[in-house]
Amino acid sequence: MTETKFFSPEWADAVRAALIAGPSAEAKEGKLQEYWDFYDMIKSLYPASWALGCRSLPAELGKGPAYLFVSWGGGTVTECRIIGPDDPLDATYVLKMDYADWKALYDGYDAQRTVMYRKILLEDGKLLEFFKTIYFFVESLAIIGRVPAAYPELALR
Amino acid sequence: MTERKSPTAVLHEGPRALTDAQVREIEESDLQGVLDVDIDDVIEYVHKDLKSLPDFTTLYRKYLKQRWDVYDLDFTQDKIDWNEKMTADERESFIAISSGFHHGERQVEIELPVFMIGASEEEKLHIAAQIEDEARHTVFFDRFYREVVGMEGDDIMSVLDASFPWVSETFVGPFGLLAYQADELRQNPYDERARVRYGTNYFLWIEGVLALSVMKVTLSYARWRGFLPAYYTGFTATCRDESRHVQGGMKYLQDAVRKDPSMINEIHDTLRTILSLAGVASRRIYFEPLGWTEDEVTMLFFQQLRRKLNDVGIDLAPDLEEMLQFVQPQLAGG
Repeated sequence: MTETKFFSPEWADAVRAALIAGPSAEAKEGKLQEYWDFYDMIKSLYPASWALGCRSLPAELGKGPAYLFVSWGGGTVTECRIIGPDDPLDATYVLKMDYADWKALYDGYDAQRTVMYRKILLEDGKLLEFFKTIYFFVESLAIIGRVPAAYPELALR
Repeated sequence: MTERKSPTAVLHEGPRALTDAQVREIEESDLQGVLDVDIDDVIEYVHKDLKSLPDFTTLYRKYLKQRWDVYDLDFTQDKIDWNEKMTADERESFIAISSGFHHGERQVEIELPVFMIGASEEEKLHIAAQIEDEARHTVFFDRFYREVVGMEGDDIMSVLDASFPWVSETFVGPFGLLAYQADELRQNPYDERARVRYGTNYFLWIEGVLALSVMKVTLSYARWRGFLPAYYTGFTATCRDESRHVQGGMKYLQDAVRKDPSMINEIHDTLRTILSLAGVASRRIYFEPLGWTEDEVTMLFFQQLRRKLNDVGIDLAPDLEEMLQFVQPQLAGG
């Protein structure tokens, strides 16, 4: 069986399923119910879309720049697919992160510091609106980051 | 640390005037003398000049007189207090609160330089001094976590990594926003509207409300119990530094609104984002071991925000007044 590659259409499908399922019991542990109630409330109302880019994508994963497009509506993921360099980029919020930081997220680095330390950055979109739902975004980023995938090592530069 | 009044003794009194002698003691004490300065007086001192804010050159001159050497602190007694005198509950509550500061000081240090680019020449002096202050505060917490709490690490970041498990998930609200606002300024450092939004988060909310509230909780505990003398000294000196930062920040916002009254919309929009996040907590922190209740900490938050807004002359829109009802304490600062 071939392992799903990071930033492949199959990986995007798995991301969609993971986001719809929501945080695992392990992720929920240790955080107050009111925090998750807030997360659920935002999820049920969230009307926006994200284009989450990957810089320095290894050549074997496709030619960059590439984005994971996630669109929300009616409390669920309405679209989740990979946008290639030749596709139109139309999302409420466009963010970008290096391949090495995507891999670090997969390896267990936390999503909160991924945002706080500007490993992922907002390239387009209204900043104050984006941050009103930042807890939802961070928890979603944590979910996306943990979706199983093959992450090839970067060639030494 | 001669007085042993309860941590919340001053909370219910409201604003009070400081005597000239108290102001002199706060402004002129050297690091050793700061141990005898009352943290409630320093918090009051922050507000003393908010109605007639000092100019940036005056704040810079105060900095030159008040700067202190973080390596002069001796944490020997603090380590004894931490390990032998404080209870497990006190240590757990203390670290749950102070870790937000450990990380907060680092964040306000590294996110400030970009704000200096679009500032006036006089303000640049003040901001340069503030960056040095924040770097010193970062080292202060690094030393406290290594030498008192006993966290190990090869460098500053590894000690930050060690204390991160105590940082609340909601920390990313104001501090993640600050990081992104700094990036916004990096791309356009002369955008006055972006600078006002940044200043509202950094100077009004993080420094003026969060930082001063958390400082008061841990420092009034240390004074009450007679524990952690080097922590009390260094963090009270930090609070004195913060008085200059808050005054400088409030002057910046006040000047911006006077120059262009429509800037009040940027302040309100920023507060709308902050307050929409501030009604949610991800962890329950027990303040009782430190002599506080959650209601008292919430009251302290309100007091700090109201006083800044009133003194600087910023009115809140009705929807923001409503949002304030749901604010919960955020245990972080910088």
